[in-house]
Parts: sequence; C-alpha cells; structure tokens
Amino acid sequence: MTEGKIVEWLKKPGDKVGRGESVLVVESDKADMDVESFQDGYLAAVLMPAGSSAPVGETIGLIVDSEEEIAAVQSQTPAPTPKSSGQTAQIKQSSDPVTEPAPIISNPPAVSSSSSSSSQAVVSPSGQTTFVNNGRVVATPRAKKLASQMGVDLSRVQGSGPHGRIQAEDVQRAKGEPISVPWVAESNAPASLSTIPSQLVQTNKNPQISSSSNEPPAGKSFGSPGEKVPFNTLQQAVNRNMELSLSVPCFRVGYKIITDKLDAFYKQVKPNGVTMTALLAKAVGLTLARHPQVNAALSSEGIAYPSEINVAVAVAMEDGGLITPVLRNADKTDLYELSRNWADLVKRSRSKQLQPDEYSTGTFTLSNLGMFGVDRFDAILPPGTGGILAVGASQLNVVVSKDGSFAVRRQMQVNLTADHRVIYGADGAAFLKDLANLIETNPEGLAA
Amino acid sequence: MPIHKSNLDKTGETEKSLPAFLFEPKDFVPYLEAWEWQQGWQELLIRQPSSNQAIWMLQHQPCYTLGRGATTNNLLFDPAQPPADLYRVNRGGEVTHHMPGQLVVYLILDLRRYQMDLNWYLRQLELSLIDVLALLGIEGRTINGLTGLWVEGFKVGAIGVGCRRWITQHGLALNIDCDLKGFEKIIPCGLSTHSVGKLSNWIPGLTIKEVKPLMQKCLIERFRLDLQKRDNFRAC
Repeated sequence: MTEGKIVEWLKKPGDKVGRGESVLVVESDKADMDVESFQDGYLAAVLMPAGSSAPVGETIGLIVDSEEEIAAVQSQTPAPTPKSSGQTAQIKQSSDPVTEPAPIISNPPAVSSSSSSSSQAVVSPSGQTTFVNNGRVVATPRAKKLASQMGVDLSRVQGSGPHGRIQAEDVQRAKGEPISVPWVAESNAPASLSTIPSQLVQTNKNPQISSSSNEPPAGKSFGSPGEKVPFNTLQQAVNRNMELSLSVPCFRVGYKIITDKLDAFYKQVKPNGVTMTALLAKAVGLTLARHPQVNAALSSEGIAYPSEINVAVAVAMEDGGLITPVLRNADKTDLYELSRNWADLVKRSRSKQLQPDEYSTGTFTLSNLGMFGVDRFDAILPPGTGGILAVGASQLNVVVSKDGSFAVRRQMQVNLTADHRVIYGADGAAFLKDLANLIETNPEGLAA
Repeated sequence: MPIHKSNLDKTGETEKSLPAFLFEPKDFVPYLEAWEWQQGWQELLIRQPSSNQAIWMLQHQPCYTLGRGATTNNLLFDPAQPPADLYRVNRGGEVTHHMPGQLVVYLILDLRRYQMDLNWYLRQLELSLIDVLALLGIEGRTINGLTGLWVEGFKVGAIGVGCRRWITQHGLALNIDCDLKGFEKIIPCGLSTHSVGKLSNWIPGLTIKEVKPLMQKCLIERFRLDLQKRDNFRAC
C-alpha cells in the first residue's frame, strides 16, 4: 500500500489529545485503524482533511505540547495542503525538547525493550540464512495450490522452509501487500503514516534477506525494509550535533578497570535503589573534580571551565534519537539522591517532560553500553563539551597482579573521547588512571 | 499420535496455539448488542493484553451497516427511513446487509500475536472463507482489490474490520441460505456491477448449522487457535 485514506478526524484543531486517545481513523481496503496519540498534547493543525488520501510518509497533522503553541503553529501552517516533514519540523522547533549534545548511542535499561511498542509495526530482516530459488521451484503442495488460487508466480516467491522450500505462508506473504501502520509520532514530531512495503517487492530486490514476520525483531527499527522514514525532531537534533562533532579534533584513550569491588559494592547498595548509572556518574564526577581540565570545553575566548560538574548520561529514545539527561553536581550529590534523580530523569525523558536545562547542561558525558555485553566502543563527542566516556561491559578476564600472580578478575573497558584543543592525551590518561583507582580500590567512597 | 499430512505443510508447527473463546448465541442477536460485546472484548484485550481472544458466530435480524467512511450514496433508500435498522459502525468498507441465514463471524484477535498488518489479516479472513468453501466442495475465489469472497462472479462473503491498537473487531459474513432481497435496496460494498449470492445456490438445503463447524475448523487452522467454547457471554 502506498497511501491511506483519512476517514475521519476524531479531534479538531485546538482539541486536547490525551495519550492513547484516538486522533483519527485511517482506512485501507476494508479495514479501519484508529490512530492514537502517544503523548498528551494538542492537535494544532490538520494538514490532510478527512476524505483525502495521504501518501505514506506524508505529514497529516501536527501535535504540540501546550495550548500556547497552537496559535504559533497555525499561523505558520497554511490551509490543509501537503507539507514536507522538514518544514513541519521547523515549525515545531520552538517546542522541541531537543537534546543538546548526543553521543553516538547509548541505552540504559529503561529504554532497552522497544520491540513490543504497540503501534509501530516492524518487519525486520531475520539473521537467518535463506535460499534463493535457482529456476527450480520447490514448494509444498499447499503452497502450489494456494499460488494457483491466488495467481502468484511461484518462481518469484522466496521460500522460508527447509532448503528454501516455498511454504503456503510464503505465497500469502508474496501476495499480500501489507497495510500501512499509521502512527502519531512521539516527541513533537508530526503525525505521519508509515507502511510496510510489499514483501514481494522486497524479495525481488534483495533475495538474500528474508523477513520472518512472525518473530518480533530483535533490534530496533523505525521503519520497514524498503521504506524511507523521515527523521523525527529528536533524530534531527542528534544529526546536527553529530555533524558538528566532525569539526572537532578528537582523540581517544582507553583503560581497563577492574570492577570486582565495584560489583560487590553495587550488590550491597542496589537494594537501596542505587543504579549502576548513578555509581558510574558519581565516580566520574568525583574524578572530574580532581581533573578539572577534563571537565573543560572549548569556547570562543579559550578554555571554559564550568562552575559545576554535570554528568550527562545518554538515553536512547524508543522512537529514535537520544537524549542526555544531566546529573547535576555529580561530584557533590549524595549517591542515593543521584540514583533517585536519575530514575526521575529517565522517567520524564520517556514522557518527553524534561526541561531544557535538564538535558543541555552537561559538562561531561557518559555513555554506557555495558548492559549489552559490548566489550568496548568509542563515542562521538557532543559539541560544547570536552569529553565523553564510553563504558563497556564488565567481563571476566585473566589479570596479572602486581606481584606477578594470575587472577581472574572482572574488567570493564572504558574509552574516553576528548577534544584535543582542550584536553591532551596526558590529561585524559591521568583522569582514567584516577577513575580506575577510585573504582578498583575504594568504591565505598562513592557513597561517602 | 498420528501425524496428519496436512500438518506437514505448516511453518507454524512449532508455534503454540493461541487460546480464544468461542461464543455461539443460539438466538438472533441484536446488532448493537453484538457490537457492544465486541467493543467490550476489544477493550479487555487492550487493557489486559494477556487475555484470551474471542470469536462470535451468530446471526442478525435484517439490518444494514455502514463503515465509518462509507458513503450513503450506496443506499437506495432514504437513510432517515430505512427498511431495516441502519447503523454506522467503526469498521472499514461500504454498506452491507445482515439477515437470518447469513453466518456472521466476529473476531476479536490481537494482531500483535500474528502479524501487525491489517492487509495480512484481511487476506487471512479471505483465505479462511476459501478454506470453508473448499470443505464444501465449492471453489471460492478472491478478487484483487475487491475484498470479499466470490463464487462464479457472485459475492457470497463480505469482510469488514475495525482495529484499535492491533486488536480487531467485526469480521466476516457468509451468505449461506438467506433472503437476498434486502441487498436490492443497497449497492453492496459499493459494487454496483456485481451481484450477491448465497451458498445454498450451489448446495441446496445447506444450513448454518452445517457450516459452523467447518468455519471453526478453518479459523482454528488459519489463526492457530485453541478454541474453547463458552456458553454464555456476559458483557461486564
């Protein structure tokens, strides 16, 4: 399907829309789908009126956060005509909770499972090896019967059975043009339609990749194979920041930190609501206090030394993009309070309720992919800051102790990316050595 | 346990079946009441996602229903004075007609348990109807772009679906042995050039009672259902 018909707008411009409330009805063939809003807000403008057919990907309406923004959006929005999502995004810029800096990717536990999200239909390529029919058609009897009934050319169908045998389901898949999945984008991104393209088209284009649509996708995808999905405002903000970082002369320096003591301490304090993120932020904050150079950033007048140590932690958003909530005064704030603050920040960033100063005032960024088991990665430096620390998983390793004996220890690889105009290699190395020392010898000090 | 040949084809063999309740009210069900049941069950599945799915197989007294986006141009009567009850409901599609002798199947299914794809779902409903007809020895077919089930150019099955958060409602209607006169007062599904038929045209004397078990069998297979019959449904 390439377009959906808007049967009815259930809300008028200016109406309040609650999370989960139906905003409009889209019809395709004999099926109606209620399109619901994922956030609270106001329907500011209807760009495609009822009765019109919206091509997939078209912006059909705008939802804003507050009543005040309605007029602003409406004044910039002409009568219902198709608009590019780019323009829409611009209109909405004022109200965007756009992140400031953004490292490459990160994913705290809070946002890790997204595949169950209800209204984004994703058909993702499975990692499974597939077979391509080489002229000879191997199909089950039921598939053959179905194909003749449905008028499907079996030579063009990708089989998902053993050795590429075409199953009845493959025929159905090839025949069916899956229907669009309307969704009202989260963040302040405009409502838009997205679609799952025909499996047949996909099969022809790329026979090496098969879709096993019965399995939920393991990884996140914001679109479906063959589809083009416009960036939402958050993603656009991240893109801008990432492109800005290309003008920064960065270097990277890594360190392996033994975490047996940290892990033991974490076990102790976990029942009190302390999270690993808070522990790491606290450790980084305390170490930054002793290494102000690593907390510094480039400014037009030279090196800017912030008055506070604010550790930003990257959080990937369900619907794309990421945000970097800030743990202010991470060096001075009590570990337990830090944990509570973090829980609150994550909760509110998911519901897009962060104030700008809560995500844009970081002086140093932490990006943790340890929960996925990655051993190491390097992060992209968020503009306006001097450094970002990429944290990998804590893994068992054989370590040679100072006395020459071997021991099995848990080790976590961290990798600092820094702006060399402000932070030099020796600064970064000294910071990491100190951070490692704190974590390895005195994690209890984090709660002091 | 013997393995039936028909089972060998299934890719979904390893997938476990999905529980669903089956309700078969004996009496005619007023349209609005059945609609209320469906809405209630849809709400249940939205609020408690692990709930059982549900299917109703029933008959209505004569009535007409319009899809949410349907035009009244296909009504050949004054909507203010319909020859039978007229409802506009939250499904897709144009006007249709229900009457005794037509098997109406409402399916409250959670498409997240299958494929989150309405077109896939519509095709499955069509295929279920084809399966039912095949069991009766009738060759039913679908026509690309004209959702429904056709036998020798006559439309015998209609499909209309409403969906909220991937929970479906409404479903299909199969004309078995019914009075088709009511269709003369509408342009069914907006298709003026196609005529409506019923299965008893091909199998004289065929009754709903005979078709129901076939319909169950086909739906069970198509949607991997563990269908559990329930006598009563109380909307609560």
